[in-house]
Amino acid sequence: MDITVLFGTETGNAEMLAEDIAAELEAAHEVEVINLSGFDPADFDRGRFYLMVCSTYGDGELPASAKPFAERMEAGKPDLAGIHFAVFGMGDSEYAETFNFGPKTLAELMHAHGATQVGERVAHDASGPDMAEDLALPWAEEVVGLADQTLGQAA
Amino acid sequence: MSAQVAIVGAGPSGCFLAQALLKARPDLTVDLIDRLPVPYGLVRYGVAADHQGTKAVTRQFTRLFERQGAHFFGNVAVGEAVTLDELRAAYDAVVLAAGLPEDRVLGVPGDSLPGVHGAGRLTRALYEHPDADDLPALGRRPLIIGNGNVAIDLLRLLAKTPDELEGSDLGPGPTAWLSGSGIEEITITGRSPAGQAKFDTVMIKELAKLAGVSIRVNDAGMSGDPDEAKKLEALATIDGHGNGPRRITFRFGLTPLAVEGSGRAEAVRFSGAEGEEVLTCTSVLTAIGFGPAADLPRDSLLTAAHDAEAGVLAPGLYATGWFRRGPRGTIPDNRAEAQALADRILSDLPDAGDKRGSSVFAGLNSVTDYDGWCCIDAAETASPPPGRCRVKIPTREEMLRLAREKEPN
Repeated sequence: MDITVLFGTETGNAEMLAEDIAAELEAAHEVEVINLSGFDPADFDRGRFYLMVCSTYGDGELPASAKPFAERMEAGKPDLAGIHFAVFGMGDSEYAETFNFGPKTLAELMHAHGATQVGERVAHDASGPDMAEDLALPWAEEVVGLADQTLGQAA
Repeated sequence: MSAQVAIVGAGPSGCFLAQALLKARPDLTVDLIDRLPVPYGLVRYGVAADHQGTKAVTRQFTRLFERQGAHFFGNVAVGEAVTLDELRAAYDAVVLAAGLPEDRVLGVPGDSLPGVHGAGRLTRALYEHPDADDLPALGRRPLIIGNGNVAIDLLRLLAKTPDELEGSDLGPGPTAWLSGSGIEEITITGRSPAGQAKFDTVMIKELAKLAGVSIRVNDAGMSGDPDEAKKLEALATIDGHGNGPRRITFRFGLTPLAVEGSGRAEAVRFSGAEGEEVLTCTSVLTAIGFGPAADLPRDSLLTAAHDAEAGVLAPGLYATGWFRRGPRGTIPDNRAEAQALADRILSDLPDAGDKRGSSVFAGLNSVTDYDGWCCIDAAETASPPPGRCRVKIPTREEMLRLAREKEPN
């Protein structure tokens, strides 16, 4: 399967995780990693599966590198019907009130333009006991497995 | 031979710069030099002990040393053990990312009275920096001057109950100091109106989780500006919070005129909208910014800089982070600046070099490396006390002893 790992980051932690996920999937798939800051929504391709890794920053906002993407989505209003994506969030439960608002906002943005989410949105907690990759790598395998069935049927 | 870059200061700015340089040019030799035996600067000694999530960036820096091939030279004071000129002669590029360690002083009469403490000195002691002073007695009613994130960190830590420090890396000494502080009331004052206060709103909202306090916000006022309105809204969410024994009062629009007291700080005289006002206190904690250490001639370097805005001081000499920009901005701001400076350095660097590089440190005693830090890190995290994720080695001697053992795990 052709996979694009898109990341939205502020401190670089989500970028590092995106690279880890890509490295894990590379053995069995064609994988590219792209910063959301440089991704044009017009480039969404129905033949690819999109894994989105996104943090939250400030008071529940999207991280800096995801903001230009959100603006381009709002401005271009692309039709994302038939686009399949999954979202992995990175947050910090010290800020419980806005925990993982960034990835939530991103998923809602994708839904609003007609894209189809695969699997559950999983969240890592920087103040919790787990390493991000210990949650993200099994999540990636799982959603890629689900997408394989879905995209396989569509093809 | 590859071109060689020395970065002075292994805090977040220096580490992000090294990361960006090596990502673009894995062939480069990038050496991070720090006056402390341990890396990570303010992530270790400035980010609050109860903000462990913020410290998660160190996992990127671990990778910088373990996979990207950056080298660490700790316990090397540039400007003392090695001069800046010697360093520049030994490397193709030198970047000053040494931060701003000194507390800015109030600059009013009485600002050096006993009982006046800078936030940097106090947090270094709280976070067990090896060069820190002893933790001072603050009395029942400390007064904080300043309302940036450093001031709010200090306020929050002083206000927390022992239970609320679970999961932090606050050491046993500082923990005992906090739990025995006897603080009844903390007043925090800012010079600007509340809407223009320097704190991030998320730092204010976090205070609404504190269990042992009762919070009042005075003179917040109104604002039609959207950014200011957000600050006022955050303050409104904590005004009236809690009915705990520790009283916290926010005040705004107060410019300090003098610290007063006979032999020690007992009050601060302010000028405010309604004239002069004196607030009594048992100690004064200033959190009004930071300035340079004396070891590097920052002011003259920046004044003579080719392009200070881009971080270019002179041919082959650069600056980034707080050292260049002043004490403003968070970790992501420093990351963005470091990435921009990396592009500039990469365009200036030769394809190859013949400089002597890190052999310039060969004659120095007790230089630590990344493996040495791993030994210290392992010792700190092997068996922390209950409720703590780490127990820091507080002295330079013990750090150096552990680093010499060189066999982590």
